[in-house]
Amino acid sequence: MSRTHRIAGAAAALALATLVAACGGGSSGPIGGGSVVKGQKIKGGTVTIAEVGASPNDIFPLGPATNSNGYNADLTLGLWPPLVYSGDGAQSIPNPQESLYSSLKYSDGDKVITIVLKPWKWSDGVPITSRDFTFAYNLLKVNYNDWFNYVAGLFPVDVAKVITPNAHTVVLDLTRSYNPEFYTDNVLATIPLLPQHAWDKTSAAGKVGNYDETTAGAKAVWNFLQGQGSDMATFATNPLWKVVYGPWKLAAFQSSGYYAWVPNKNYSGPDKPVLSEAIWTPFTTDTSEMDTLRSGTSLDVASVPLNDVRQIPALKAEGYSVAQVAAPGVAEILPNFYAPVAGLLLRQLYIRQAMEYLINRKQIVQKAFAGYADPGNGAVPVAYGQQWDSPLEKAGGPYPYDPAKAIALLKAHGWKVVPGGTDTCIRPGTAADECGAGITAGEPLTFQLLFGSGTESYNEQNAAIQSTESLGGIKLTLKSEPFNTLVSTTGTCNAQSHPASICDDWQLQQYGYNGYLMDPSGAGQFNTDANGNYGGYSSPEMNKLIDATEYGSSNAAFFAYEDYAARQLPLLWLPNAATVFVYKSNLAGVTPLNPFSGLYNPEVWYYTKPAS
Amino acid sequence: MTWYIVRRIGQSVAVIVGVMILTFILVHLEPGSTARAVLGQKATPAKVAIFDNTYGLNRPLPVQFWLYCVHVVHGDFGISYVAGQPVSTLIAQRLPRDAVLIGISTVLALIIGVPMGLYQAIHRGTVRDDIVAGTWFTLYSAPDFMEALLLIAVFSVHFHVLQPSFTGGIASVGGLFADPNALILPVIVLAINSVAGFSQYMRSSAIEELAQDYIRTARAKGLRERLILTRHLLRNALLPIITILGLSLPNIVAGAVIAEAIFNFPGMGLLFWQSALSHDFPVMLGATLIIGVATVLGNLAADIAYGVIDPRIRHAVG
Repeated sequence: MSRTHRIAGAAAALALATLVAACGGGSSGPIGGGSVVKGQKIKGGTVTIAEVGASPNDIFPLGPATNSNGYNADLTLGLWPPLVYSGDGAQSIPNPQESLYSSLKYSDGDKVITIVLKPWKWSDGVPITSRDFTFAYNLLKVNYNDWFNYVAGLFPVDVAKVITPNAHTVVLDLTRSYNPEFYTDNVLATIPLLPQHAWDKTSAAGKVGNYDETTAGAKAVWNFLQGQGSDMATFATNPLWKVVYGPWKLAAFQSSGYYAWVPNKNYSGPDKPVLSEAIWTPFTTDTSEMDTLRSGTSLDVASVPLNDVRQIPALKAEGYSVAQVAAPGVAEILPNFYAPVAGLLLRQLYIRQAMEYLINRKQIVQKAFAGYADPGNGAVPVAYGQQWDSPLEKAGGPYPYDPAKAIALLKAHGWKVVPGGTDTCIRPGTAADECGAGITAGEPLTFQLLFGSGTESYNEQNAAIQSTESLGGIKLTLKSEPFNTLVSTTGTCNAQSHPASICDDWQLQQYGYNGYLMDPSGAGQFNTDANGNYGGYSSPEMNKLIDATEYGSSNAAFFAYEDYAARQLPLLWLPNAATVFVYKSNLAGVTPLNPFSGLYNPEVWYYTKPAS
Repeated sequence: MTWYIVRRIGQSVAVIVGVMILTFILVHLEPGSTARAVLGQKATPAKVAIFDNTYGLNRPLPVQFWLYCVHVVHGDFGISYVAGQPVSTLIAQRLPRDAVLIGISTVLALIIGVPMGLYQAIHRGTVRDDIVAGTWFTLYSAPDFMEALLLIAVFSVHFHVLQPSFTGGIASVGGLFADPNALILPVIVLAINSVAGFSQYMRSSAIEELAQDYIRTARAKGLRERLILTRHLLRNALLPIITILGLSLPNIVAGAVIAEAIFNFPGMGLLFWQSALSHDFPVMLGATLIIGVATVLGNLAADIAYGVIDPRIRHAVG
């Protein structure tokens, strides 16, 4: 069954990916670090947040299938946070205080979920009830194919029925059992409640009804809300979008991506905003953002492209503090197991192992990412959290940089190793000490690595990999293309899609990282024919282990999957760049950033003045 | 003259149709899947199918072109794949802002360049002529991104006196003037590159005019030099500048991508550049069409203005 990541986290990850996309060089700092701000809390004040390339274009929290703009989640998370609030600080766990549920119980072999809602209210004073959940569910049940977050087989099609025993209780009867951690972290954390009392209508002038309870009505309501949700000119004025339950309301919006939040005075949650306004101001390029930061203007919080981290001392002189947060995802070189000739080589685990041994990840972290990166020891970032990082990953992963081991592996499998040159197969065949199935005598060990152009850190990283791979006689040819060209001209290669031009034209790809939600499950990435399994990796054992993390209930299952993935190398693991950011030194509460809920949570920020 | 204008308009329409056909073919020759470029690597086949169906990309190319033409005739340039907004809205938001920014810089360049060219013509062959020409050619030959970054480094980063970018969002043309400090550097950078062109055209034209009989006659009649320059020389020497101005209309419409990127000014240039990177065909087609129309109109306007200012031309074509 195909699985992929859900959108709230994916959107946050996409936003984060955009932020880290042009990163490179500088001094290092602790993941999630930042200075402690001391002083007296000031009530009110405006914070201005700079984001490069950020231009949300849809405000309806259930975005259409044709809209992949990750910045929409940034815009809407403060207005309609999902039922389960993702991330507690920088930790990859749900935040029960910020979440809408007061209890969440799995029963009947983890097939039934009973959700009790907190007695919170919408911004117009109307209580939030279970009807608001069924409203969202009814819309999705009919229109899930037009919902960008829909993942084949998951919510809402995995729901047999929804029961609402009272105004504050929702019972989800699922079609199968799930691992509660997976379902809470990666499914329920993507579903917001919608104000049925305000949005259940089919036209702006129409009356609110129970239209969602019929298929035709649900389609009409969906179409109406989608239409309103894409009308950027009315984002800040449309009465629909004034009804929120998050800590913020939208006060201004411009199509350039500039927008302003003001506090939702009726917010029922624990962190009522102290600031009087939060403004997002978009930048067209990293350069313009950095120039503005260095000019001493009014930006209070901003991401720093890694290419510019050497300017951090100058930014500190302008009154900024610096911190970083790990990107929730895994960076990799993607092998195409179905590429002509190269695919036969890449199917050999020992070749992938040799290639991984020849990647000097520690050096890449320091040189290409200036220390601001996760080491990339396996399928889960080391900084992801205690509950997710296996001892093997924390110890550096199964394949630390070791050219001698790589050379020994290749020699042991029938290759003539020529350090600095190109290895060739001298013992073709399928025995343990031979090159492997389909590999002919004299076959050279060469690959083309395709990657997205325009990011200096990636240029440096890939040049370093090319250099160290050559120590083992593995010849890499580098080819860069604009990211969108890369995405549009190469496609998923697996048993179904092969042979096709989109499969034949690439051997190895490096394009950034795959984002994770709170549960860094391999579902959707490494299981056979998964949507995110672009290279066609297939292993029954991997499928079994991933299923155990998704459907089983054992906590040990995750480490079993994680270690197997780390050793099997469905991808070649690479360091994953962190997000580096600066904030005004008198602004408190900014760190730790929450990468699972849009990075910035200004509801917990406040200005300070020095204690007198 | 009327027949001339009608004939030129007819030619212009033919050129615009040609631009539409050529652009449509070129953008569709771009390799790869548009849906995947827009939706990203994780786009499922189902989402790709919905995307293609939504935007009519699953129809034969001639049908797509025909529908595009029909929509354009009705003023509908389509919906941007990336922004999800009507292309006409995106262009309407950016075009006036570019027109104001580039218009102001062009006026500034004219104010500096025309007198400078006259000055050089009057002092042709002197050290003063060489110094002025050398200065402007140096600035002209320097890449505008370098000039922009240098000015930012000096006036924004070092002295903190000028803003290096528009940070407050620009909702409208009026929004440009809400923060006039932010306008100064982009206007200067855009003007620098035009001044050299204007001044040198003006210089050449004025030198040519200074050798004409009517100037000698005016001088022989004892007319004051200032009157000769302003009343007789300037009007005739300005003719090439009118042509340049007419031809610069497409620049105003096409925006200034480098200045827009550096000064955080979301205009037509960035819109077009980003649409090209992201396979956003409707925006590429819409922007190209607008630029094509501006080019044709600019030429037409220059020709007509030429005729208005110089009766000899009007009579020749009439």
